[in-house]
Amino acid sequence: MKTDDLIATLAADTTPAPRIGPRAWLGLACAAALVLAVALLAAWLGVRPDLMLAMRLKSFWMKAGYTGWLAVAAFVAVTRLARPGARLGAALWLAILGVLAMTMMGGVRLMAAPPAERMHDWMGHSWTFCPFLIMGVSAPAFAVIVWAVRRYAPTKLRLTGAGAGLLAGAIGAAVYGLLRCNETTAAFVATWYTLGIAVCAAVGAVLGPRLLRW
Amino acid sequence: MLRGLGGDAAAHGELLSAMSRYLRGYFARRIGSGAADLEDLVQDTLLAIHLKRGSYDPSQPFTPWAYAVARYKLIDHFRRGGVRKTVPLEDAGELLAAETVEEGAVRRDLNKLLDTLPPRQRQVMVDVKLAGHSIEEAGQRAGMSISAVKVTIHRGLKALGKRVRDED
Repeated sequence: MKTDDLIATLAADTTPAPRIGPRAWLGLACAAALVLAVALLAAWLGVRPDLMLAMRLKSFWMKAGYTGWLAVAAFVAVTRLARPGARLGAALWLAILGVLAMTMMGGVRLMAAPPAERMHDWMGHSWTFCPFLIMGVSAPAFAVIVWAVRRYAPTKLRLTGAGAGLLAGAIGAAVYGLLRCNETTAAFVATWYTLGIAVCAAVGAVLGPRLLRW
Repeated sequence: MLRGLGGDAAAHGELLSAMSRYLRGYFARRIGSGAADLEDLVQDTLLAIHLKRGSYDPSQPFTPWAYAVARYKLIDHFRRGGVRKTVPLEDAGELLAAETVEEGAVRRDLNKLLDTLPPRQRQVMVDVKLAGHSIEEAGQRAGMSISAVKVTIHRGLKALGKRVRDED
């Protein structure tokens, strides 16, 4: 096909361009991802029966703050990465800052605890499966987010994949952490939540180039 | 671009044909102007610009967006081809060396000048000053002590300087 013919054909396609920006579209996708994750958790593991009671604990809001912070940082990163030529800016540093703050808080609290209890504070009773459950709850969220990002044109596929994984992981961790997990220590959250979310981001980075190509 | 986004066919066609000229230049500089894939790449990118026009943020300048798309398509092209632009190893030196005509001329003059030195002196000079070996390495290669290498280089430079002055 001659280039000029191609141009004529393309110009004739006058359907106005989709006008929904990545922020609005991805916001919708995140809402859908959240609903999916909650539905999956409720069907698979069940919501903790003492939810109302747990909401009075500080640890509940600590988990909400941490996962929410990571989700916001990942959201900003992905909306930027979805557009060719846009700068990533500080989004990555926001996420790193969040992890650092959580790790420091976990470390300080752990040091303040009596030595005999430290190990239990750190490992809790669910460290063997907590990261895996976070990954499981995040999986459908990841699918929705990738589908939403594909509508745009990410040029750094690996980084965008990692960002999508981080976003899905943070959403999954929030849902699992708030509605199911009854661990309460900062050290546990800083270690095992972070691990689960980081694996999600790594999986995203591995799959990104394949899933996001255009 | 803005009018094209709104569905103005004439404006969109104008933009695309202007872009096709820029893109042809952009790709030609990177894969060679005679490359068989050049036109494919241009068309690919035009298609991408059209299909992905929704990812352009109207509040941002258009050119960086368009070139980011072109760059992505170029990388994709290399990846898909599986072959990078390669040069046989034997020719690599030439590729790096003769960057410009002047540089080639300088190199030839330098070689001529170096040829006037005794072989051992010449070898040490080339190793240290041109090939970038350390004095220790050059000493090992030539079987000389470090201080001997230093003296040799010093004398060599002096001899070269003298010769250049004589020629002038």
